[in-house]
Amino acid sequence: MSNGANGSHPTIRFQSVPVVEGRLFDFDKIRLRVLAEVLNRTVETFASADHLDHLLGEALYLERVRLKREKPNLFTRSRIKGDRALWSQVRGGLLQSPVQADRKALLRAVVKHYVEEIGGHFNPKTYRFATSAVPWGFSWLLNAASVRHFLPWGLTQSLESRLRIVGEVPALQRLSRQGTILLVPTHQSNIDSMLVGYVIYLMSLPPFSYGAGLNLFSNPVLSYFMSGLGAYTVDRKKSNVLYKETLKNYSTTILREGVHSIFFPGGGRSRSGAVESRLKLGLLGTALEAQIGNLQRGVEKPNIYVVPMVMSYHFVLEAASLIEDYLAEAGRHRFIITDDESWEPLKVLHFFWKLFSSQSGITVRVGKPMDVFGNFVDEEGRSIGPNGTTLDVRRLLTTEGELRSVPQRDQEYTRELGARIAERFHRENTVLTSHLVAFAFFETLRRKYPELDLYRFLRLSVAQRALPFDEFLAHAASYQQKLRAAADRGELYLCDELQGTDVRAWVEDGARQLGLLHDAAVVKVREGAIWTEDMTLLYYYRNRLAGYGLSLLAEGGELTGKPGQNDSKGFLA
Amino acid sequence: MTQKDFWRNSKVAVIGGGTFGTVLANLVARNCQEVRLYVRAEELARQINATRTNVEYLPKFELRPNVAAMSELPRALEGGVAAVIWALPSSVCREQARLMAPLFKGDEVLLHATKGIEQGTMKRISEILREELPCPRIGVISGPNLAEEIARGDPAATVVASVFDEVGEAGEALLANERFRIYRSRDIIGVEWAGTLKNILAIASGSLDALQYGWNARAMLITRGLAEIVRFGVAMGAREETFLSLAGVGDLLATCSSPLSRNYQVGYRVAKGEPLAKVLEDLGTTAEGVGTARSVHEFAVRRGIDMPITEAVDLVIEGRATMDETVQRLMARSSAK
Repeated sequence: MSNGANGSHPTIRFQSVPVVEGRLFDFDKIRLRVLAEVLNRTVETFASADHLDHLLGEALYLERVRLKREKPNLFTRSRIKGDRALWSQVRGGLLQSPVQADRKALLRAVVKHYVEEIGGHFNPKTYRFATSAVPWGFSWLLNAASVRHFLPWGLTQSLESRLRIVGEVPALQRLSRQGTILLVPTHQSNIDSMLVGYVIYLMSLPPFSYGAGLNLFSNPVLSYFMSGLGAYTVDRKKSNVLYKETLKNYSTTILREGVHSIFFPGGGRSRSGAVESRLKLGLLGTALEAQIGNLQRGVEKPNIYVVPMVMSYHFVLEAASLIEDYLAEAGRHRFIITDDESWEPLKVLHFFWKLFSSQSGITVRVGKPMDVFGNFVDEEGRSIGPNGTTLDVRRLLTTEGELRSVPQRDQEYTRELGARIAERFHRENTVLTSHLVAFAFFETLRRKYPELDLYRFLRLSVAQRALPFDEFLAHAASYQQKLRAAADRGELYLCDELQGTDVRAWVEDGARQLGLLHDAAVVKVREGAIWTEDMTLLYYYRNRLAGYGLSLLAEGGELTGKPGQNDSKGFLA
Repeated sequence: MTQKDFWRNSKVAVIGGGTFGTVLANLVARNCQEVRLYVRAEELARQINATRTNVEYLPKFELRPNVAAMSELPRALEGGVAAVIWALPSSVCREQARLMAPLFKGDEVLLHATKGIEQGTMKRISEILREELPCPRIGVISGPNLAEEIARGDPAATVVASVFDEVGEAGEALLANERFRIYRSRDIIGVEWAGTLKNILAIASGSLDALQYGWNARAMLITRGLAEIVRFGVAMGAREETFLSLAGVGDLLATCSSPLSRNYQVGYRVAKGEPLAKVLEDLGTTAEGVGTARSVHEFAVRRGIDMPITEAVDLVIEGRATMDETVQRLMARSSAK
């Protein structure tokens, strides 16, 4: 399909979408039961382990290292204090003999502590307030921002023109009534969580639960909204198995309860700017586990549907710090960003201001729904197998005649699901003009300096980073051809502008939108030349099209894998 | 019910009644309740059932009583078949799988014993089966397994590889006995490529014998051949150590030393000056190495993988180079590393 961003469905109408209630609306009724179940399941998993001492000891060590690094502030003080109290209790217990201090009781205390930290709330009032406040806020911004422009022909300004939701919207709506949805979006920016939540509301879907970083809950305003919107906490700094297992069990349990959920399977925001090709499988595996549990208990709607979602931005708020982190990591200096610009209210405001004042837009594509193995599903939610067969999910989960979990088998199924999602991410990606401008410019420059490695290349002098504009246009046109061919092969989608033949028009549009947010111009076109003021940012935006093998093709090479698996000579590892 | 009981009470279908398919059917028959041996020709199925031997491929080999030959596929796969053993030549795998797809339920364990690849796409057999059939749990059986020797009951061993441990376990439960050992592996890519690539070297080995070279030459061929197939395998995602297993060196030694191998015979007769087409016609059955040499050679050139022996085999069997000049060229290669 090459008809690109149009997709086959009309854009969603915007103004007043009635709130759809869902499983999450009764969440507070089932909450205690869910938490108790998570606690029991997790304790059960470890209780029989004969190395319980070792497990607790390892968790104790990791937690003490973590706590040593924590710097409490006004909002986190009480939480950290609670953590410290718990772990000194565990430490004291482990120093005593198992007779004096029951290991199982210690385990239970730890897991209980985690369950309470993770467990979310849902407050219908907050949800109603947020869903009505957000459009109101957006409209206000939109109008304020567009005062600066005299819009030609009285172009009606509406959110609709800025947020394009395309793809398999009706299928998602239908399946949300036939089973439980696990929405898996790509992740570039902290704006994503807001955006996804809002898009879900616009599609008339009931609210979804999702995991949000614990650090975000330190912000009292965000914390109020997020915990009221069905978020549960995820603390990536806790790396011990007890925590990870508790988190997985929480996710499995709410999916089994029929609560639609969101995971960002990339683990965090994409550091490089590329569409994610390596996914975290831990949480993903909970979909399969929930499905098995549902089938075993014989519930009415046992199916979990995995739906990818790909968001395309012209500019990303955190681009500069993300790419710096990526380069540092690639250069083996790992560090975790704790603070970046994404939650400074003024920066967020700035982002939306730019979005609305620049005629710019965000495209969100809902991908083809799949089952927990990564097979597509049909209208009725049945899994589609090869050659027109319909798969009975039950059979795939039957081993030696019995429907049950088999850890190694399920791990392998989940690995396949992860690979499928990564492939779909690339195929459901909508390429915007700015993406192609960044890619074409970066690659054209790179071909001029074939002997340089990435790090030296990024340090080109200002004079070296410029090209005659006409020369660039010719290259851009040739990359557009490659991209169109890729779209025809079903490897990606093109936005409307990229389907036209007026190269100059889309290049100018892309150059104008690209990284509009940043102080430095990511690309600048003036007096017959095109150049960049910031190579690193250019690299970040260029990476959006990495993995498709476009640069290999441009140099006469051949594709070596599916979309997402084609490496462009180490420039994006 | 234990795992062993499950397989002991199971029904198994073997698709393909060639030499190896027949041998596998008989091996499995010792460890399960019922084996359906699917052969395409109705007449052959009738003969097998009447004479209790596969008159066409293994005439002196008596089949166990719980092996039934049948020529209707739906019958072979009906009524809860727990495992399917796939023993068809690589050239028909995709088309046959496509036809059979509706008959599979999805919970079957599928083990294939085909040593080849799909020409053009360079896809492994397990990839093709995965694309065309609704059952994801797929494994491969590969090793030094000259069918006639297994049929005689000589001691032998093989590798069953799958990313799913339970497929390996099923393979062991179904195939193992006191004269046949199973080794399990997760490196299905390596095991499939090793089994495929050694066919090229088997052709070369036959050709060397035709020239009446001795053990030094054969040792050189096997060792340097191994080096280049490892190079290729690793480029395709295989693990290097797999090539040191029964599925790698093991299979290579058996096939390169045995005049029973079809690939060996092709190499031998072509080196003696017979045209390839005639040799293939005489053999009547497939020699996987011929197509493999062609595709692998082309692919290696495109990817820049150095494979001098594969290139030589391809050129000789296609009649584009003579044996004499090929040997001379191989020996005169520069930079012996």
